[in-house]
Amino acid sequence: MALLPWKRAVPKSGPQTSMFEDLALPLLPSLYNMAMWLCRNPADAEDLVQETFLKALRGFALFEPGTNFKAWSFRILRNTYLTSRSGLAAMRTVSLEDELEGRDDLGPRLVPEAAIDRQTPEVNLMRLSDQAALRAAMEKLTPPLLEVILLCDVEEMKYREIAAVMEIPIGTVMSRIARARTALREMLRVNAPASTSNDGGTDR
Amino acid sequence: MSDHLSSVTLNALADGELIGEQLVRVNEHLAECAQCTSSALAQSLLKSATARAGQRYAPAPELREQLARLAAQEGRRAQASYYRVAWGLRSYVWAALAAVLLVSVGLFVQYRVQRATDNARLASYTGLVTEVCDQHIATLAANSPPEVISSDRHTVKPWFQGKIPFSFNLPQDLPGDTALDGANLTYLHSQPTAQLLYSIGKHRVSVFVQQRSDAAIANGVMVNRTGFNLTGFHTDDLEVVAVSDVDPARLADLAERIKKAQAGVEGKPK
Repeated sequence: MALLPWKRAVPKSGPQTSMFEDLALPLLPSLYNMAMWLCRNPADAEDLVQETFLKALRGFALFEPGTNFKAWSFRILRNTYLTSRSGLAAMRTVSLEDELEGRDDLGPRLVPEAAIDRQTPEVNLMRLSDQAALRAAMEKLTPPLLEVILLCDVEEMKYREIAAVMEIPIGTVMSRIARARTALREMLRVNAPASTSNDGGTDR
Repeated sequence: MSDHLSSVTLNALADGELIGEQLVRVNEHLAECAQCTSSALAQSLLKSATARAGQRYAPAPELREQLARLAAQEGRRAQASYYRVAWGLRSYVWAALAAVLLVSVGLFVQYRVQRATDNARLASYTGLVTEVCDQHIATLAANSPPEVISSDRHTVKPWFQGKIPFSFNLPQDLPGDTALDGANLTYLHSQPTAQLLYSIGKHRVSVFVQQRSDAAIANGVMVNRTGFNLTGFHTDDLEVVAVSDVDPARLADLAERIKKAQAGVEGKPK
């Protein structure tokens, strides 16, 4: 059989695709949720997920078994988004905002301690129970801050995994999380009286 | 304010990123500081609230089916592409194998033909050497006079006219103790041959001249067989073999003189 080496390689493609499906399809809700938050419309989100899925499938041979498939998939999704038209436009806007707000590597020191929520848990609970207000606040976050909050809170990734997905240092992850939560608290505080709670369900 | 926990620390606490000594220190501080405890609780509440709020969109069932179909298509496409490459590779491999086989068979056949030819030539050459020696020994044993007795090359050469289908030339100048005694008409390998008889001192020399065949003796090679030395040369048309028990150098000298004589008038078939 050494004369015909391709004979041994043939059966690989079937099980490989099957293994990929076993790993990737359970992540579909998470990937789609992230895509919707980034793209803000279902058609673009579906395209993004589909392209991510294809790229991951074609590059699956490069994936090292035993490593974090979820982080690998989210990294592909993010890179695909960043190279898309809407992603490029969003990131250009964000860069300017980042410059104005302060650089990531100096993040932790620039977060004013005054911004830390020092109100009572009861007050916080009342504000946070308003899902519509919280989602509206999240929508106003810049993409890098929104990404980091979604990966940390929704996908429950560790800082190390988030750093791998976003290809940034852990220190930057920590500063972005701090800034994102501070921004959310500020928006909730400012908009608290005007917010209404009529959008608590799943959007799709 | 600097005594309170930083927002980064409070976030790390809420996110479960503090371990070991860091966690112990933070817990000790929280046990004493109500304000930081309240902030830590607020961070945890915010985290769980954003986790719920962030889980907002669900994919349509069709998207899952579409991706499954896409995976199947991609699998088939990859497999088809693989097979194309594999088949292409296989045809190249077979072509290369066929070429190698053809070349091998060709080389083997050529080797066998060459070997058969070499064997035939060797057998013919060995036979010629044996026959030359036998003829010379027979001439010595018969002790009979040559068919043409003459030391004059102008007598010996014409004597062969009409007897052999070729002509040859005889050297004019010979060393002092070398003489042409005469010649016989004989046959080697069933071919008519001129046997020139020379004397070098008391040694008798037979020089056989015939039309060239495949069994030609290589130019200038000296062969010893049962005490007799053989040497020879060939031209385009003639083959000459000299045999004697004389010193090889002197035999070679005579052969060289006969060879030079052919340079002027080469033996041509009649």
